[in-house]
Amino acid sequence: MASSSSSGLTFKLHPLVIVNISDHYTRVKSQLNLPPSLTSASSAATSNNNNNNSNGGENNQQPLPRVYGCVIGVQRGRTVVIFNSFELIYDPSTRSLDRSFLEKKQELYKKVFPHFYVLGWYSTGSDAQESDMHFHKALMDINESPLYVLLNPAINPAQKDLPVTIYESELHIIDGVPQLIFVRSSYTIETVEAERISVDHVAHLKPSGGSAATQLAAQLTGIHSAIKMLNSRIRVLHQYLVGMQKGDIPCESSLLRQVSSLLRRLPAIESEKFQDDFLMEYNDTLLITYLAMFTNCSSTMNELVDKFNTAYDRHSRRGGRTAFI
Amino acid sequence: MGSAIAQKTWELENNILAVEAPDPSSDFIFYYDEVAQAMSLKAKPWANDPHFFKRVKISALALLKMVIHARCGGTIEVMGLMQGKTDGDAIIVMDAFALPVEGTETRVNAQADAYEYMVDYSQTNKQAGRLENVVGWYHSHPGYGCWLSGIDVSTQMLNQQFQEPFLAVVIDPTRTVSAGKVDIGAFRTYPEGYKPTDDPISEYQTIPLNKIEDFGVHCKQVYYALNITYFKSSLDCHLLDLLWNKYWVNTLSSSPLLGNGDYVAGQLSDLAEKLEQAENHLTHSRIGPPGTSRRKIPGRITSWLSKTSFSTRLDGQNRCPVRLSAKDEMVTA
Repeated sequence: MASSSSSGLTFKLHPLVIVNISDHYTRVKSQLNLPPSLTSASSAATSNNNNNNSNGGENNQQPLPRVYGCVIGVQRGRTVVIFNSFELIYDPSTRSLDRSFLEKKQELYKKVFPHFYVLGWYSTGSDAQESDMHFHKALMDINESPLYVLLNPAINPAQKDLPVTIYESELHIIDGVPQLIFVRSSYTIETVEAERISVDHVAHLKPSGGSAATQLAAQLTGIHSAIKMLNSRIRVLHQYLVGMQKGDIPCESSLLRQVSSLLRRLPAIESEKFQDDFLMEYNDTLLITYLAMFTNCSSTMNELVDKFNTAYDRHSRRGGRTAFI
Repeated sequence: MGSAIAQKTWELENNILAVEAPDPSSDFIFYYDEVAQAMSLKAKPWANDPHFFKRVKISALALLKMVIHARCGGTIEVMGLMQGKTDGDAIIVMDAFALPVEGTETRVNAQADAYEYMVDYSQTNKQAGRLENVVGWYHSHPGYGCWLSGIDVSTQMLNQQFQEPFLAVVIDPTRTVSAGKVDIGAFRTYPEGYKPTDDPISEYQTIPLNKIEDFGVHCKQVYYALNITYFKSSLDCHLLDLLWNKYWVNTLSSSPLLGNGDYVAGQLSDLAEKLEQAENHLTHSRIGPPGTSRRKIPGRITSWLSKTSFSTRLDGQNRCPVRLSAKDEMVTA
């Protein structure tokens, strides 16, 4: 298991898959290890309690459970997009995969997402193991070259990168014997707008609903943090280049070439046509904002007139007040 | 230090609730206590109080699945079921799955078609370790807001008679994408003839003209909205934090203006229709008695038109994306 894949496929992973796997893992983990707080709280069935107590005591000793499942998506040309995933029943001790279950699940998912098909499988753990190859081979009759998505559930606060790796299998000749080994591939996170909003929503638990002021505030916070990220990345690049100039860091021409090509691309669009289109859109937006302001204004004015009329009602003489107009 | 104070005041003013990161002990929400659930199902505390359930907790996974599914449907309504459990006066939604039926508003009992699917799915799920039962259904109202239509109300009343505890959730994927925040609502109906004691304060939403009659008939006294909160596991938290490292590019380069051109155009034409109606109202009322009443009707209509939702939403939405459309070109180039 090493090196990078040479198949030339680009992988795109949707965040839904990541959340799915994490949820599956959390579920299995919580069913196995009942937290000690719950044992004292539940006063029902004392026999249950006894079992749970012993489980709770072994909390630390129990090894982290591994979960297995299937990933589905589409492959368009050289791009493989992984959209969704579902659980599978697999017994690692007997190495038996529940085929009927897999087929049932496939059927069900085909009904709702007719375009997706099985692309591979997933599991949790810290590294790909030899025993995983059996599962991998078992899936090969559904998809000739399945993917293996591995999620590392250990929470490491110092980690900066997503603990998800995608492996492909390649036939390598080792010691004269052709063997299938796992090779790592790189991937990017792809998302649709709706997904991004809900992930944003849950990740930062933005206030939903409420007045327009909070909506605007929430949206602006999101953009603000994104800009902060951009800023920090640029700073890193800048420091790196300064270091290179001073001679602290050895010159790396490939990186320099990349940076210079990036800089040459800015400003990206100077053409006349872009300016025209941009100004047109800009004007449209300003028009709509103007319209919105107008409506707001007329409503406030209307309220003012109403209040005025109520205060100086010409049809009734209350408290000796006479008509104003 | 000044900036910290400024941030605190801004947070206070805007009611930003800081949520503490969930620690592993809070993950016990994921534990399905079969015994406790069976007990509460037998006790049925909701049978006596139509307003029993007040809160809904939706897991990150369920929300993600529902919103993606709703968006996949485009302009067609889609529906699905939610699985979870109850916890006192809260319904907890752990997962959701889509049903292979095209929800049209004319079908009263769309779920009849999908029963087999539901049973199959629940069975396979139980085998795979998802032990919860179905606690509700969700469907989408693309573009016309989160509320229960007449058909929805009757379906939900039926559900609440036979499949308690049951919850109805409505998602508007179009408004979600255009507003940049998830547009979702959770409802339960009151049984026939029940009059709620207090008038629930509902947030104003713009309803397109063709749906407004349906909305008006049922909105007040027939169903009530529940408060929605979200939760996620500690692992989810951690992963989502890391995901942000890759995500920020998408946030920056997304432009709701470009993505929702036709929705905004649709809203504008709806506004034009409403204005026309208002004008017609005006000409009709000129025939009627003169005096203050003449001023009142167009006044009411204008204030109704301009209430917070429509104009300020457009306002807020449009202020940001203008600068973003240029960035879109830059980043994606």
